[in-house]
Amino acid sequence: MLIGIDIGGTSTDGVLLQEGKILSSAKCLTDETDLQRSIFTIIDELTQGVEKSNITRVALSTTLVTNILATGKGDKTALVLIPGPGLNLKNMQLFPHTFIIDGASDFRGRIIEPLNEEQVKKAGKLISDAGITKAAVVGKFSPRNSEHERRAKEILLKEYPKLEITVGFEISGQLNFLRRMATAYYTAMTQEKWAKFAVSIEKALRDRGINSPVSILKADGGTMPLSISLEHPCETVFSGPAASVMGAFALTMDEETSVVVDIGGTTTDLALILQGKPLYASKGAIIEGHYTSIRSFNMLSIALGGDSAVRLAGAQVTIGPDRVGLAACFGGPIATPTDAINFLEDGELGELHLSQEALEKIAAPLGISVKELAELIVNQFVDSVEENIKKMFKAWEEEPAYKVYEVVNKRSVQLDKVVGIGGAAKAFVPLISKRLGCRSLVHSYAQVANALGAAVARPTLSLILHADTQEKYYNLNFGGISGKIPSNFNLDSAKEMAKKHLEEIMAKRGLVQFANQSEFFLEEQFNTISGYSTTGKLFDIGIQIAPGVINEFREVRS
Amino acid sequence: MKKRLCKERTGLVFFPAFDWAISPTHPEREERLLYTRDQLFEEGIMDLPQILQLEPRLAEIKDIARVHFCVPDIEFQATKAHLIAAGSAIAIADSLMKGEIKNGFALVRPPGHHAMRVVHGNRGFCNINNEAVMVEHLRKVYGIKRLAIIDTDVHHGDGTQDIYWHDPDVLFISFHQDGRTLFPGSGFMDELGGPLAFGTTLNIPLPPGTTDEGILFVLDKLVLPVLDIFQPELVINSAGQDNHYKDPLANMNFSTQGYATLNKKLAPDIAVLEGGYSIETALPYINMGIIMAMAGIDYSNLYEPDYYKYSFKEDSKRLKILETMVEQLFEVFNKREVIQANNREKAGAFYERQRHIFYDTDGINEKQLETVKVCPSCPGYITIDSQASHGRSKNSKIYCIVIPIQACSDCQEKAREKYEKKLMDNSGDFQYIYLQDRVADNYRQYDCRKQKEIVL
Ligand SMILES: [Zn+2]
Ligand SMILES: [Zn+2]
Repeated sequence: MLIGIDIGGTSTDGVLLQEGKILSSAKCLTDETDLQRSIFTIIDELTQGVEKSNITRVALSTTLVTNILATGKGDKTALVLIPGPGLNLKNMQLFPHTFIIDGASDFRGRIIEPLNEEQVKKAGKLISDAGITKAAVVGKFSPRNSEHERRAKEILLKEYPKLEITVGFEISGQLNFLRRMATAYYTAMTQEKWAKFAVSIEKALRDRGINSPVSILKADGGTMPLSISLEHPCETVFSGPAASVMGAFALTMDEETSVVVDIGGTTTDLALILQGKPLYASKGAIIEGHYTSIRSFNMLSIALGGDSAVRLAGAQVTIGPDRVGLAACFGGPIATPTDAINFLEDGELGELHLSQEALEKIAAPLGISVKELAELIVNQFVDSVEENIKKMFKAWEEEPAYKVYEVVNKRSVQLDKVVGIGGAAKAFVPLISKRLGCRSLVHSYAQVANALGAAVARPTLSLILHADTQEKYYNLNFGGISGKIPSNFNLDSAKEMAKKHLEEIMAKRGLVQFANQSEFFLEEQFNTISGYSTTGKLFDIGIQIAPGVINEFREVRS
Repeated sequence: MKKRLCKERTGLVFFPAFDWAISPTHPEREERLLYTRDQLFEEGIMDLPQILQLEPRLAEIKDIARVHFCVPDIEFQATKAHLIAAGSAIAIADSLMKGEIKNGFALVRPPGHHAMRVVHGNRGFCNINNEAVMVEHLRKVYGIKRLAIIDTDVHHGDGTQDIYWHDPDVLFISFHQDGRTLFPGSGFMDELGGPLAFGTTLNIPLPPGTTDEGILFVLDKLVLPVLDIFQPELVINSAGQDNHYKDPLANMNFSTQGYATLNKKLAPDIAVLEGGYSIETALPYINMGIIMAMAGIDYSNLYEPDYYKYSFKEDSKRLKILETMVEQLFEVFNKREVIQANNREKAGAFYERQRHIFYDTDGINEKQLETVKVCPSCPGYITIDSQASHGRSKNSKIYCIVIPIQACSDCQEKAREKYEKKLMDNSGDFQYIYLQDRVADNYRQYDCRKQKEIVL
């Protein structure tokens, strides 16, 4: 049996799954001040009368880290930067307690300026004097050479052994100093609070006799073991929306192109599944206005939901962006899109007369019938969703390309279907798909797709190996792994090495059974040339376990 | 650092063409912009709110026909990579004209400024002139009338000069290493444009070794004042980066700080990458510098790893040479209208010139006879009789007619008649006859052997 729980901003959902079927589901309001209580309310409800030893996996998605950062409850953190030449960070609005240190390496991993150790020591003193106990050390091009970051950490720790330090090269190997900086900073800021949460969850589960592995959903739609999350708390941001997308993925599992429309109370979230593969945001997740190196799904959130307030502004009917309360048909104070649907479907959802009365208040001054108003509201709703879906496709088609082949074979896709998720999906999604000229799918599990997504998502891992045969080194964009290579190193050796590292990492995580589900997604090689002769090669090899569902689910569903 | 919509953004098309090379070890090869990519990506410059990254796109065949006479045809001379480089320049121009960006940089390859009007093959790593294709698009689609192209590549922009030689509305200024010491061996002070466009082509041959100070002197004392007088609607930087002190193909002493300052002062509406072959030690830094300067980002902390080992002060002898050149050219420029009027009076019905053009990459020798109709009310239509020998066996002979965008109705009519007549009698035994009618935006190529006409 599998348990999946999605701790959302408003509510917490859970499902208990066996052989692809949902045995039971549960829902409660999320208590932001005590997430653990919300989780165990759900777990206790789901596992009532269930033999605990039958539970083989518990997976969670949570907004905890997002909340810590949004409410400023993270730990006070210092940022020690080694940027070298480029943007003048001294004049940029970065983070408080930022220290800029001289020293630099370049894109080939060559040290071009020595680290100014005196400046590091001075920064350490100021950090310590300010009573700050967390620091992130980030250097430009540290994925290509981490020497300066390592040395700075060493110096800081020697003088101030209590300082907890996150280093950039272990956080992200993607070439983007600004994103690595933000990610390392937020990691240092949330690590301790996240660890407390993780430990207490694990303990509470064990206390209840649930001894299965515990996984946490990441923004990229894959899971990681709870123990691994201690080093990467920021990977859990936006795991809620990722859970919905993985739910939609699990309910389709085809090679089609779908748009996932998750209609909630106040927002509608859109995501794309292109020929069976969920689309990632090209610039990574945005946290507190900063791009990060965290891979996350490409989502578009519209301030429009089933409970959005419908009002009259002049002769214009407006929907949202706010919510005043429940829909009128459930005793709420004001007409909502849910009431429009409820009226058109003869009270299918709630009290017909309540919807009618609320709508009448807007229809009367406009001089139209309630039916006409209800249709107008639904139309406006569908218009807005349609427009945003088109915007998303256009943005995707306009992604930059760096090769002739990519430009000539410009992607253009045909949308096959709209997959509806969430409470109001059943009413709106068929209308949206009709507008877009494609099919719609609102599965009977659509209301708990988020928890389902968490329950069945498999672990993901994405590695990029960069090798430079002239400088005779390689490194991974992960965990700061690097090493030496022989000069006869070629494309095959690079691929082999990438695969070997992936297998090792998965084994270390206790996920060896997933290691054979990897695929190469990037193969690049360039010559390095001096004058007119070749002096070496550069390789970039990408290998990943893409988002998917665990075998237990795949086998029974497909 | 939050991404938001604002018109104060600088547009950037970054198209490194990682799958295109002239040959594996040629300077114009796949990884020319690889380290530039690493630098831009690591810097995170595309994440900044001041930058809008635009997608590269293919130029249409007709966009090329507006500028070039390609032999045997456009598809042969313009590979997909060339179409994308030119199309990306157009993408920047469109975005600028739509008001999405305040200025833009087409950081693309392959380059184009050695490509002339007639294209028999590759010259100086160029087949298609990206700037000219973009300029003609701007004129045709947006009705832009006056433009200036400032060629800052270390090599003389002879292709662009050729295309605008007779055009009084496109100011072409090139400063480059003295042609006596570097390819293509042209770009001397006496190259000042055709008789009716005299003074709208200006060349400043720089002594080898010229530094930041020298180049910025030319900018301050000649380029900027001339622009101030000419009042173009748009300024384009044909932005070669081989003036750099580390470039392997030339001998100048220009630094990243110099390039950035040049772009800050020149404030081009559009920059298009040209040459630059120090792919590790210069390009990553210069490209950053151009983007930062155009976007108004502080570039004071941007420098090459070995920047502090060198001096970029100008030596007094070179400065004297520059002063003299700047003075003379400024004088010619100021007298250009008088000289043009004089030329018009003195000339007969047609102005003629004969030329010999060498294609270094492809080893082609071309002979041209060019005529320009001397018209009292427009720059006049142009005809070109061109013969190219490609070594022992292959020869091409073509005839081209250009109707410039400013052509008067009389010149338009005469030129179109001439084309029809040429098709009928083909007196010169030509393989192809071309009509480039920029007024009607109509481009014709007649294959004399197959007796087939292609109309674009
Ligand atoms: Zn050049
Ligand atoms: Zn005329």
